[in-house]
Amino acid sequence: MKTNNSIAAHSCSGKKAKTTLKYFGWILLSAVIVALPVKAWSQASPLYQKCLLCHGRPGFKKLMPDGKVLELFVNKSELEHSIHAKLHCTDCHADVMEIPHLKVPGKVNCYRCHYKDNPNGAKPANEFFQSVHGKLVTENDPKAPHCQDCHGGHNVQKVDSPLSTVNHQNVAYTCGKCHKPQYDNYIQSIHGTALLDRHIKSAPTCTTCHGKHLILKPDNPASSIYPLNVINVCSKCHENKELIRKYNIPGGRISTYKESYHGIADEFGSVRVANCSSCHRAHLILPESDPRSSINKANLAKTCGKCHQNANVNFTKGKIHINYKSKSNGILYYIGMFFEILTLSTLTLLFIHILLDLFRRYKSGEIRGKNKRGE
Amino acid sequence: MNHSVERLSKNQRIQHIILLVSMIMLSITGLALKFHNNSFSVWLIKLEGGIWVRGLIHRIFAIVLILLSLYHLLWVTFTDEGHKELMAITPRLKDISDFFKKLLYNLGLSNRQPQFAKYDYLQKLQYWGVVIGTIIMVITGLILWFVNQSMAILPKWIIDVTMLIHGWDGVMIFIVLFLFHLYNVHLNPEVFPMSKTWIDGKISTDRLKLEHRLEYDKLLSDKEDENK
Repeated sequence: MKTNNSIAAHSCSGKKAKTTLKYFGWILLSAVIVALPVKAWSQASPLYQKCLLCHGRPGFKKLMPDGKVLELFVNKSELEHSIHAKLHCTDCHADVMEIPHLKVPGKVNCYRCHYKDNPNGAKPANEFFQSVHGKLVTENDPKAPHCQDCHGGHNVQKVDSPLSTVNHQNVAYTCGKCHKPQYDNYIQSIHGTALLDRHIKSAPTCTTCHGKHLILKPDNPASSIYPLNVINVCSKCHENKELIRKYNIPGGRISTYKESYHGIADEFGSVRVANCSSCHRAHLILPESDPRSSINKANLAKTCGKCHQNANVNFTKGKIHINYKSKSNGILYYIGMFFEILTLSTLTLLFIHILLDLFRRYKSGEIRGKNKRGE
Repeated sequence: MNHSVERLSKNQRIQHIILLVSMIMLSITGLALKFHNNSFSVWLIKLEGGIWVRGLIHRIFAIVLILLSLYHLLWVTFTDEGHKELMAITPRLKDISDFFKKLLYNLGLSNRQPQFAKYDYLQKLQYWGVVIGTIIMVITGLILWFVNQSMAILPKWIIDVTMLIHGWDGVMIFIVLFLFHLYNVHLNPEVFPMSKTWIDGKISTDRLKLEHRLEYDKLLSDKEDENK
């Protein structure tokens, strides 16, 4: 009996559990059915679905009262692949409150998130306001570049992404949107062709020399391209033994410059004296062999003539970067050697002479005080 | 005897002072530039007011030296005193034998000192070293000073050679004047710390007899002639 009872009790509780499971299953199923599209929707396009009803239409634009046409199309796939894919439109366009917009939404302010000390980055924001670009922004110059003008708006990417507008490979093009003449020169230069045509990653681009956020005018002593600082910028690569070997760059350019009068005057703070870019140019840097190069023999007189009045063909007769310790400089090496030997031997003979003189004076007792002036 | 005689006239002493001031200034401003890779030179050039003022000072004293050299040239050519001094300091064969005699004496191989006239072989060496050195310095210095004009007629490598010679010749003059001359005339134990001759122009007859025996004998015989 006892066992029967227990069996009955068991079968009773088993029936109850089955019902609960059935309900639970239904609830779970319906939850999944409801949740799936929600999840899919949020993944594919976050809360910018509504905005894209208008802004997602290619060719969406508006004619402004002043006659300008505002392109208002937003490329959805660009947005979805940007680093900000998970943000809402209004996270950046914070002044958009209603649809249709009552007034033209303002420029996006990146510092809402990228403020100083934000762990998500934006330390550079501080530097940016010290820069020539940042100062123009503070002065409300309409042409001043804001963050998004370089980093991209809806297509903003991490800097190491090949899609980023400020990627090492792409940044020159980005700068060139405003700095056209410099860009045109750069892409023809040995640096530009190395990076853009031959895809040598170590080749410099705009930011390598000018800096990134803290770009300053060349006449600012803190600028990386201030006349006295140019040599430091160039030596980053041209004194780098590894790069010199790998790409067969002529070595000893910096050390020979430092030994020249130009280099010494530069070291002691003369901003008038020639630095690297005075002769090699800043953007259109080309090897000597190139007829367009400022240091090609045919153009050297003109290049030197920027400072040396009436410079003529004599400036081409001789080396510019002279290593006095190298035999390749012929007569200079031997004259230097002659004088070094002459100086050392003169010094040696003089010291011997002085020592001998002292020795004899000591011997004859002159120094010791006795027999002074005696023979 | 505590008598002394005039060794350098007032004219010579003034020339000497102008020379030493310009040489010191040219050395300080020039050598710091040649050996610029050390903190002392950096300090020195900053003290001189930077690279541009350094050049200005160097050129000012270069003009002083050039004017002095021109004056000296006229002095030795056209004045009796200058001409006599030039003759006295002209190198002669005796200077070579004097050098060997002195060498033997200093080595202790001989007990007899050579006897010198007014200027001994070292003093002649120093004088002519400075004369030749200065001529080279003035020529190369002017080429470098007016580099734009010189490069109108000279190729760049000649300018480089000029610069090299100017620097090294400066070193040589510095050695001759500041190591050799200073020891020989001023710092040696005989007169340490300094011979006063360059200030008062006088030398004691004792020292004259010891160091310039022939000159001493000559002055003595001149005096005897006068007394006769």
